[in-house]
Amino acid sequence: MIIFFIVALILAALSAGSAASNYHENLLLQPLPPSSLLASFNFKSNTTQTSFEQQHFRYFPRALGQILQHANTRELHLRFTTGRWDSESWGSRPWDGAKEGGTGVELWAWIEATDDETAFSKWITLTQSLSGLFCASLNFIDSTRTTRPVASFEPTGDHIASGNLHLLHGTLPGEVVCTENLTPFLKLLPCKGKAGVASLLDGHKLFDAAWQSMAIDVRPVCPSEGECLVQVDQTVDIVMDIERSKRPRGNPIPRPVPNDKLDCDTSKPYHARDTCYPLEKTAGKSWSISELFGRTISGSCPLADGQGETVCLRTSPLQEVRPSPDSVEASVSDQFTRCYTLPSSESFDLDVPEQVSAATDNDVPLEEPVLHAERTIVGHGQERGGMRIIFNNPSTEKTVDFIYFETLPWFLRPYIHTLQATITGRDGVRQQVPASEFIKETYYRPGIDRERGTQLELALSVPPASTVTLTYDFEKAILRYTEYPPDANRGFNVAPAVIKIAAAKPIYIRTTSLLLQLPTPDFSMPYNVIILTSTVIALAFGSIFNLLVRRFVTTEEAAALQAQTLKGRLGGKIVALRDRIRGKSAKVE
Amino acid sequence: MVASLRNLRNNPHFLFVRLPYILSFLCIISGVIWLFLLPLDDYSRKTYISENALLPGQVHAYFAGSEQHIFRGYKRELEGLINGNENEGEESVERTPVISEKIQSILKASGLKVATQGYEYTSSGITHQGENIYAIIQAPRGDATEAIVLVAAWETIDGELNLNGVSLALTLARYFKRWSLWSKDIIFVFPPDSKAGTQAWVDAYHDMQPPTVQPLPLKSGALQGGLVIEYPFEHRFENVHIIYDGVNGQLPNLDLFNTAVSIAGGQMGIGTRLQEMWDHDNSYEKRLQTMLRGMVKQGLGYAAGAHSSFMPYHIDAITLQTQGNGWQDEMALGRTVEGLCRSLNNLLEHLHQSFFFYLLMQTHRFVSIGTYLPSAMLIAGNFTIMAIALWLRTGYYKGPGADDSTVTRDGKASESEKEQLLSKDQAQAISKAGDSINGSTVAERQLALPLTLVISLHLLGLIPLYIFNNISHEKYTLATHTSIAINALLPPTLSLLLSRTNVSQQAQLHLIKSLSLLPLGLFLSTLATLNFSLSFMTGLLCSPLSFISCPSTATKPAVRYASAVLGLVLLNILSPPVVLLAGCKYFGVEVTTVLTEAAFGWDVWGMWTQVVVWCVWWPAWVVGGVVLGGGLFS
Repeated sequence: MIIFFIVALILAALSAGSAASNYHENLLLQPLPPSSLLASFNFKSNTTQTSFEQQHFRYFPRALGQILQHANTRELHLRFTTGRWDSESWGSRPWDGAKEGGTGVELWAWIEATDDETAFSKWITLTQSLSGLFCASLNFIDSTRTTRPVASFEPTGDHIASGNLHLLHGTLPGEVVCTENLTPFLKLLPCKGKAGVASLLDGHKLFDAAWQSMAIDVRPVCPSEGECLVQVDQTVDIVMDIERSKRPRGNPIPRPVPNDKLDCDTSKPYHARDTCYPLEKTAGKSWSISELFGRTISGSCPLADGQGETVCLRTSPLQEVRPSPDSVEASVSDQFTRCYTLPSSESFDLDVPEQVSAATDNDVPLEEPVLHAERTIVGHGQERGGMRIIFNNPSTEKTVDFIYFETLPWFLRPYIHTLQATITGRDGVRQQVPASEFIKETYYRPGIDRERGTQLELALSVPPASTVTLTYDFEKAILRYTEYPPDANRGFNVAPAVIKIAAAKPIYIRTTSLLLQLPTPDFSMPYNVIILTSTVIALAFGSIFNLLVRRFVTTEEAAALQAQTLKGRLGGKIVALRDRIRGKSAKVE
Repeated sequence: MVASLRNLRNNPHFLFVRLPYILSFLCIISGVIWLFLLPLDDYSRKTYISENALLPGQVHAYFAGSEQHIFRGYKRELEGLINGNENEGEESVERTPVISEKIQSILKASGLKVATQGYEYTSSGITHQGENIYAIIQAPRGDATEAIVLVAAWETIDGELNLNGVSLALTLARYFKRWSLWSKDIIFVFPPDSKAGTQAWVDAYHDMQPPTVQPLPLKSGALQGGLVIEYPFEHRFENVHIIYDGVNGQLPNLDLFNTAVSIAGGQMGIGTRLQEMWDHDNSYEKRLQTMLRGMVKQGLGYAAGAHSSFMPYHIDAITLQTQGNGWQDEMALGRTVEGLCRSLNNLLEHLHQSFFFYLLMQTHRFVSIGTYLPSAMLIAGNFTIMAIALWLRTGYYKGPGADDSTVTRDGKASESEKEQLLSKDQAQAISKAGDSINGSTVAERQLALPLTLVISLHLLGLIPLYIFNNISHEKYTLATHTSIAINALLPPTLSLLLSRTNVSQQAQLHLIKSLSLLPLGLFLSTLATLNFSLSFMTGLLCSPLSFISCPSTATKPAVRYASAVLGLVLLNILSPPVVLLAGCKYFGVEVTTVLTEAAFGWDVWGMWTQVVVWCVWWPAWVVGGVVLGGGLFS
C-alpha cells in the first residue's frame, strides 16, 4: 500500500515537472567539402527558476548550478575551442558562430552585483570555481585578462530589468583544450555520456578533429506563459577529417599505401608500375558513424524527452543512407535533412556509402560567410611591431556593419594614433583613406601596466566588394624577469579578436590567436650568476669558518688526542681549556 | 734587466714612437696566430644539441614505398611540361606559366591552400621578376600561430634546374597532409629562383616588402624554421651539403645545423658536408680550410642560398643540397626532410638555446664567439692603440729632440745620446720653425684641417657607394678601372694641397692619421661582434695603415721621394678596387658578376658589405695615401 502510494506520488511529480523541466539532445551530421564531416551535438536541459533556487536539480547539473548561485551569475557562456574553422572550404560557421569561442578558453558572464568591485570579486569566485570544475586554468583570468565589453555581447536570456547586471569577459588563448576538459563536460549531462548521442564523444576522436568547439550556455528563459526557466545548453561541434578518422585506432600511422592500392591516373603516357600520377578523389567518401567515431550510439538517453528527432543528417537527397534497422526516420520539410529517432536500447549506426554519381547540383548549398577577417602581427624585431587586420566583404551589394572587439595584453602597447585604413576594391587598387571613414564609433580603454589590458571596440562598416585593412603600430614592453613564463621564447599569446556582425540574430566571427615575441633575456645568465656567487661564498665561508672554528694542534698532540685513553681525553680537555684562556688569536699568531 | 726597462721608460722616443708600432704589430701577429690556433682540439669544441625538444632522429620516417611512385609521377609530369616548352632546342630551365599552373593544381589536389605572389626587382639595370607559388598545410589542431617553411626553388642558387627538389617537395606536401601530428603549419614555397624569390616572399610575410612586390594573400603564424631542398641533378647522390650562411654573415642557430647533421648522418646514414669541402679527413689543414671558407663567405655577406633571406627576420634556415655520386636516392633526402620537419615540429619555443655566433670547421666541431672573438678584436685594437699613441705624440712629444728638457731633468740618458739628440733637434729647429714649441709639455693641436679632411673623406665614400650600387651592370669594369685611377691620384693630390697650407705638416699628418685610425678601430671592434669575418678581413687589409708614416724631413730627399713613391705603389696594391680585381682573378670570376651581385645584394637582400668597404676601409686607405704622399711634397 505504502509502496503504491510512493509510486503514485513519484508519477505525479514527474508529470507535473515534465512540462517545465526537460532534457533534449540532438546530433547533426553534415559532410563538408573536400572530405570532412561536421558533427554538431546539442544537449539542452531546463529547470524552473524556483526549483533552481531551491537547489532542486533534476536535469540541470548540480555542480554548475551551485557555482552559479554562489557567484550570483545570471547568465554564463563558456567556450573551449581548438583549431580553426576553414570558411573558404566549409562556408559559414555552425550556429552563426554564436556557440564558439576563440582558440583556448573564453568565458563571459552576466553577474548581478551592486557595484563593479563586487561584480569583479564574484567574477573571480566564478572563474576559480569553474577552473576546478572543468580542469582548466580559468583561475588565471585575473584583472589583466578581464574586460567589460560595451557593444560586443548582449544577454541572450530574459533578465529582470533591474539593471544590476555586469558583463565580464575573459580569455585564455594559450590554454590547450583536451580530454580533461571533456570528462567534466560529459559529467554535466544527465546520461553522463553513457547513452544517447553523447556516447559518441570519445576524447581520442574528438581531439583529433580539425576544428572543435565545446560550449556551455546557461541563461534564464521566460516563456510567454508559465514559469521562468533556467536553461543549460551544451554544445560540441567538431569537424572531422573523414580519411583520418577512419584509420583504425590500433594503426593510426598514415603509412604509404601499398603499391597496388595506389589510385593512379592511367591515362598519363608515362604511367608505369613504378610511376604514378595520383588521382585525388573528389566525390564524397564513404563513412559511417562507427567508422568515424570508433563506436555506435548506444541507444537513446532514457531521460531525454521522446519528442523530436535525435540524429539528423544534412546531405544531398540523392545520397544513399543506410541507418540501423531499428531506427525510425522522421519526416522533415527540408529536402536536405534526414532525421532518425534512436532506438531505446539497441545501438544505432548510420552508414553513408560512397556517392557514385558526382553530380554536385544536389549537394547541400554552403552558405558564403558574410565577412572574412584575418589578423596578423607584422614587422619584426623585439621592440616594435604592427597589427594588421583585414576585413573582406565578399558580397557585391551589401555593406557589412559590425563591432570589432579586441583585448590586448598590457605588455603590448598600441599606438591608436597610428591607426590607418586602406581599402582595396575588386580591381586591386589600394587606396589610403582616413580610418574615420569606416570607423563609426570607437570605444577604447587603454591598458595599465600589470593591472589591465587594452580594450578596443570599433563599430565598423565595410562597403561591398572591397577589402579594408586596418593597421596600427605597437610597442612591446619589457617584462620583469619573474613575469616570464617557463617557455618565454615561444612568445606570448594574444587573444583572438571577436567580430559581431549586426543582424537580426548576431553573427560572430573570431580571428585566429597571435603569438607575440617579446624581448627575452638569456635566462641561463642569472642561473650562472647564482652558481658563481654561491661558489665564491662557499669558498670564502668555508675557509673563514675553518679558521675560526677549527683548533690547530701539532701532530703529536693530535695522535695523543685520538688515542681514546684517559690521558688523551684529559689532554684534550687541557688543550681546550688552554685555548679558551689564551684566546684563539694568540694561537693563530 | 730592470735598469734597461727603466731606461726604456725614460726614453720618450721609445715610448711615443717605437712602442706603439711594437704593440700594434704584436696585436696583429697575435690576432692572426689566435685564428690559426682555433682548429686545434684544445680551442674548438664538439657540437652538441642544446635544445632538448628537438629530439633529432628519434622518430621513424615513413616516407618510402609507394610515395616514390608518386614522386616519379610528379617528376615525369613536370618534365613533360619542360620538354613540351622546349621548342627551340635550347635547354630552357625557366619556369613557364604552364608549369606554375601545374604545380598549383598538384598542390590544390593534395588539399593545400595555394596562393601566388608576383614580384619585380630592378638592380644594376637588370630586372628580376617572377611569381612565387606557395601552399600551406594548416596544422590539424593548430591556430596559425607558428609555421615551418619548406622551400624548393625551381632554380638553385647556381642557376641549375632543381626538378628533383621541386618534385620531392610536391610529394612531401601530399604526404605531410595526411599526418595529424603537426603542431605548426607547414608552408611550401616554390620560388622561380633562389635569389629574389624567397626574399620577396619573406619580406611580404612580414609586410616589409617594397612597392614592386605584391603582398601575400594567405598567411600563417610566426615562422619557426626554414628548410631549402636542392637536388639539381639526375643521378643518385652521396652526401648532403648543408649551406647555412646568411646575408651579412648572419648564421642560423647551431641547433638547426646540428639537427640536420644528426638526422642525415646519424639516422639516415647520409654523409654531411659543409663549405664545399668534399673530402674532409678532420685534419688540422682541412679544418682550417673549412673555417677560412666559411669566413670568406661570412665576410662577403652575400646570400649563399635561398635560405639566406630568412635570417634577417630571425628565422633559422638551412639549405640541404645533394652532392656527389653515391647510392642515396630522393627518398632518403625526403626522409631526412621529414625527420627535420618532425624535429622542428617538436619545438616548444623559438630556437634560442644554442649558438648564433660560431665558426664551423667540421660537421661536428665548432668554435663559439667567446673563443674566436679576441682574434678580430686584437686586430681592431691595433688601430686604436696607434690612434691613441699618435694623439699623445702630437700633444706631448715633438720629434726625437723636442723633449730633451725632460730627458735632462731626469738625468738618466747618457751624455753621448743626449748630444746626438741635441744636434738632431737643432737641425730640425732650423728646418721647421713652427714645430719647436720649447718649454711647454703640451702642444696645441690644430684640429680643424685634419677633422675636416677625415670627415669629408668618410662622406666622400658615399659617392662610390652610390655609383657602384646604381649604375648599369655593363659599366662595372669601366667603373672599377676608373676608381683605381682615381685612387692612385687622389692621395698625392690631397697631400699636395695639404703641403700648400702653412701649418706644420708633420704634426698635421700625425693628427690626420690618428683621427682616421680612431674610427677605424672603433668600427672594426664593433663589427667584430656582428660579423667577425668581415671585421677580421678588413682589419688585415688595413693593417699596413698603422705602420705608414710620412718619411721624416731629415732624410735625404732622394731616399724620401723613393720611399714615398714605393710606399704609394705598394699601398695602391691594397686599395679596395685592386683587391677586388685580385680577388676576382684568384677565384676566377668576372668583376662584373661580382659587382652585379653586390648591387643586387644591396638592393634586394639588404647587404651592407659595400658600406664597410666605401665608408670605413676606403677613407682609412686614402688617409694612408695622404700620409705617404706627404713625403713627396714636404
